[in-house]
Amino acid sequence: MSALAQRIAAELAERPRHFSEVVEAHADVSWRDLLLAWGEVRRADVLERDEAGRYLVRIEDPPAQPRRLL
Amino acid sequence: MKQSFRDVLQQLREAGELRPVKKPVDPRHLSALMAQSSEATFFEQILGYPEWRAAGAVVSTRKRLALAMGCAEREIATRFEEGIRRPIEARLVDRGACQEVVVEGDDVDLTRLPLPLMHVKDGGPYISGTLVVSKDPEYGRNVGSYRMMYRTPRETGIDLVSSSDMRLYYQRAFEQRKPLPIAVAVGVHPYEMLAASYKAPIDVDEFSIAGGLHGAPVELVRCRTVDLEVPADAELVLEGELLPIGWTADEGPFGEFSHITGEVKWNPIFRVRCITHRRDPIFYVLQMPWENDWLAAPVIEAAGLQALRIASVEPVAIRAPVGSCCYWSLIASIKKRPGEGKNALLALLSVAEVKLAIVTDDDINIYDPDELDWAMTFRVQADHDVLVVSGARGKHIDPSVRAWALGQGGLPTTAKLGIDATIPEGVPREYYERLRYFAKDAVRLEDYL
Repeated sequence: MSALAQRIAAELAERPRHFSEVVEAHADVSWRDLLLAWGEVRRADVLERDEAGRYLVRIEDPPAQPRRLL
Repeated sequence: MKQSFRDVLQQLREAGELRPVKKPVDPRHLSALMAQSSEATFFEQILGYPEWRAAGAVVSTRKRLALAMGCAEREIATRFEEGIRRPIEARLVDRGACQEVVVEGDDVDLTRLPLPLMHVKDGGPYISGTLVVSKDPEYGRNVGSYRMMYRTPRETGIDLVSSSDMRLYYQRAFEQRKPLPIAVAVGVHPYEMLAASYKAPIDVDEFSIAGGLHGAPVELVRCRTVDLEVPADAELVLEGELLPIGWTADEGPFGEFSHITGEVKWNPIFRVRCITHRRDPIFYVLQMPWENDWLAAPVIEAAGLQALRIASVEPVAIRAPVGSCCYWSLIASIKKRPGEGKNALLALLSVAEVKLAIVTDDDINIYDPDELDWAMTFRVQADHDVLVVSGARGKHIDPSVRAWALGQGGLPTTAKLGIDATIPEGVPREYYERLRYFAKDAVRLEDYL
């Protein structure tokens, strides 16, 4: 993953965030670069969603059930 | 000759209903800026996307929808009815502006499109104004409109949860573990969007309905990589397939047509194989919620007129208020005979998920909220003229039906309210004679200014 994609994944491991919060956290990045990095995070198959629709990356306690495809 | 998306923009420009934005705008800010304009918006420069321009909120008001439909604001339902009564078959042509630029294979990259981030809680950038074409070996071609959420440079989510013909097509393909090829046209005339939102019988081609609305055939070109056809004058086309994974990928939330954020849904994935567009393309942003709602208004108003006629009530005017998302309320004026105020209410409340209906006599201008209030004040006795029907079919998206308490798969019900604001039986009409100003026709204010 690119450095930007890794930063995004790390931020989502800290706490769940709406996509717009990810965007706000990287307001200085061009829109296209941000979407490319987001695509990398998606493809890494690490994203989960919480009930509020926020994205999160779980780094401990892997789920007992297989994750639904993201 | 049929009109295009660009023709509508020109009509709005000439009517003073299109605001040009000259400075470069980041796609992250398109929706927020559109929300601050009372006109449709045309962005002449998109930051980071030099070949693209963008337009949105094109038909976010009844006035602009009527301009696009070439009729008076009060006639959008009857104009729509005329169109669907006279379908015109689409015509296949050899080439179209939508294929002036073709991007295939490894070059396909959705991040090269100015995909907007619309709402705070959206699950990602969305393509909101789509015309999605699919085919089934038995039922033929289908055209619908489905939102698409950016996932990766070659994939989007697609909301295929609600019942629709394309959902059925996908289900049939999925059961055979086959992908469903689709083509997505963006930036087409509102007639095509209206036809797509109309629940036509499964064997009816929505392009023929759009042709009826245009009064001319919709010209279609063959797609480059899938066996489908799209409007030749579209601004942008995405070709590809819905993967045979079922409803397993997260999609949403999205700012829904109800002006409320929806939930995360589980949906299929659209894999894009080819992107085609005009040489100087305009990206269409369907601005939620009102633009989406106005595109459904003629359909629901026409359904209300139809319901009244089936009930043998003569309608004069009908209005689906945008505050009810042009979906949950219908207001109609009728030429009333005794008892028909109530008959009209029963008819209107039978339309889809309409949960509030108001009926007035034909002397009330239902487009004037003051006249409507006047009728509801002086022609309604709540113990005689208000109907409440409990336990009718509701819609999950309405928070007041408390769908969250039903558990997975639970179907909500709703109460329906009807207000008969016609002159009550037994009250002489002269009791409602309105004030008339002395010498109104004899003097003119202009002469005294």
